Amino acid sequence: MSEFPVEISDASARLELDEAVYPLEAVYGAAYIFIDRCWVLIDKPAPGKWRVTLSAKKDGVDLRALGGEFANELLSCAWRHQITQQNQAMIEAVTTQAVGGAMGPPTLDELEKFDFSAETFEDPLGIAKSWEEKYKKK
Amino acid sequence: MTELRFHRQVYRGTAVDEAVKSFGSFAEFDLVEEADYWVVRLTARDPARERKIAGELGNWALGLTVQKRGH
Amino acid sequence: MLLPLSRDTSTQAFFRFRPVGEKVVITNHEGSFLLLAKDEFQQFAQGKVAAGTPLHALLTERNFLRGPVNDRGVERLRARKRFIHPGPNLHIVVVTLRCNETCVYCHASRADMDATHTDLTPELAEQVVDKILQTTSPDVTIEFQGGEPLVNFPVVKHILAYANKKNESIGKKLEFTMVSNLSLMDEEKLAWLTANKVQICTSIDGPEHLHDKQRKLPSLSAHKAATYWIKRINDAYKQMGLDDTLYHVEALLTTTMETLPQWKEVVDTYVSLGCRALFLRPVDPFGFADKTGHRVEYPRTEYMKFYRSAVDYMLELNAQGVLILERFAAIFLTKILGGEDPNFLDIRNPCGAGIGQIAYNYDGKVFTCDEGRMLHEMGDSTFLIGDISTPYRQLMGHETVRALTIASNLDAQPDCVNCAYNPYCGVCPVHNHKTQGSIFGRMRESTLCAVHKGIQDYLFEKLGQNDPQVMETFRRWTTVRERTHFLQTCAT
Repeated sequence: MSEFPVEISDASARLELDEAVYPLEAVYGAAYIFIDRCWVLIDKPAPGKWRVTLSAKKDGVDLRALGGEFANELLSCAWRHQITQQNQAMIEAVTTQAVGGAMGPPTLDELEKFDFSAETFEDPLGIAKSWEEKYKKK
Repeated sequence: MTELRFHRQVYRGTAVDEAVKSFGSFAEFDLVEEADYWVVRLTARDPARERKIAGELGNWALGLTVQKRGH
Repeated sequence: MLLPLSRDTSTQAFFRFRPVGEKVVITNHEGSFLLLAKDEFQQFAQGKVAAGTPLHALLTERNFLRGPVNDRGVERLRARKRFIHPGPNLHIVVVTLRCNETCVYCHASRADMDATHTDLTPELAEQVVDKILQTTSPDVTIEFQGGEPLVNFPVVKHILAYANKKNESIGKKLEFTMVSNLSLMDEEKLAWLTANKVQICTSIDGPEHLHDKQRKLPSLSAHKAATYWIKRINDAYKQMGLDDTLYHVEALLTTTMETLPQWKEVVDTYVSLGCRALFLRPVDPFGFADKTGHRVEYPRTEYMKFYRSAVDYMLELNAQGVLILERFAAIFLTKILGGEDPNFLDIRNPCGAGIGQIAYNYDGKVFTCDEGRMLHEMGDSTFLIGDISTPYRQLMGHETVRALTIASNLDAQPDCVNCAYNPYCGVCPVHNHKTQGSIFGRMRESTLCAVHKGIQDYLFEKLGQNDPQVMETFRRWTTVRERTHFLQTCAT
């Protein structure tokens, strides 16, 4: 069985990753979780590759274990990225129901402050235009 | 002197700039733009802390990059 | 010429599966389940269940085969998710951090008895109540916590009186509960609490030597104090004519390493106190347990051995007519067998942080949940969403509330998305944050997931064995009886 591919040097653990397997969003997600205990640098040494360097802030850290934990987190982030894309509609529906329900309707003060004049969406087909505006006749 | 190389496809230039500004009082900085990288060369005022300052700056730039994605 | 459409009715609809004992449990979106023998599962998985067979009929009835979803499925899905929209119903008010008891695993980071600056003032308490009654939920439970709430009893009384007065014009279904170690109880306080219908909850860690080793009072036995008042309060309810199978002090256990070999003694202690329910809670990572972990913590495989032994014993007792239920089991079984969600905020999808519960600290700071407040006392204010001057809608619309709602959605979570227990389970993003560094966590390494999965494995094994006595006990454990006596005011 081959060794787990974590390169240990200069008090750092370094992993080279395939971009096709681990999108940048997943690399960010995993890296961010380690910034309290590591200094993290993400590089792109070649097309289709990431390189992540984790330098422990404290002495005596098991760097191989650190690299292994990072790889597990990265897998979790990569899979979550995929799941949330596939289930986006369901996640949005539940979140909207839950947060909208908890917030309740806006107060009169909030409605008064709301800017109704702001353009809310692009309308290339002119659907939101009135008959008069669209055809210049009543 | 420590050199940090921030790949343009990973880090936002504005995030690197902001990180350098945040650490301005701790080191002297030299910024260079390469085709693929934002390069930051720093010399800490306290040499014993240079590694830490470089590391924290890198984390700061990463954090700001992640924060500003989608905005 | 039109040809009749033929539908292959042996094709599976969406399902998840998990081997449990000698069987395989399958579940679907609506939370229906079946326990199949291995050869039955193989037929099902291969789409080879013949039409007209009993298995085919059962699979069809429970929407495991392709076809129009029947009314049963729609109703079950609606019942499972009925809690999503109403808004926060549980409001935890920390009336003081002061406590006279020192518990080895204290997750509230209690303060010494001279720390009067950690008392909630009457003025701030009124603002807390004003905020609580703005909730969109028609049902409101105000839970007094601490520290030890009896230390600041005047404010407890003030909150109840003020809330009832304000609620006259609002009309929420209002209830109060108090979590107390009971050592500061006296007859005067008891008279007030029973007259004002405050539900009481306490902690009993098991037999006296175990309880007193983990929960220390300066000059008397914490166990003697708690058990005396449990009996006294239960007697008071009987004297009021209340049904003692329904109205009694609720007691909770915190399982530590010391507890694990004493599962029988723990159950016997609860039975001897007349308790009807026992909540075998594992120790959590908040508060003092963070520092005392080396003394109190244990692998969750060991916890599951403890859990199985304790609940097996409880099932034996039930078969002998001794009525005692285990709370985790009751929560899961209500979902599995009853198709209802009991809205236990720590085990639901999404969790109750912000959208189901809010915690108000003694200083007016507001948090997504009690665990978030506990983390704040440990120096981590990630789950602080405002203070008492923050408008209600701003608290609910806080980005942290949104983030936790998404992070605790099991259909956005690796592992959970494929887990057979997805319809019944829940995660705690605050627990994930504390133990694994992110609100999402990694479930394979989560001690909470190990407990939830372990308990559900146990329950489904029992369901697969289909012992009539056990099934009867399980059905009794899922029966939800409303305790209307504790309602302060009914909604108009």
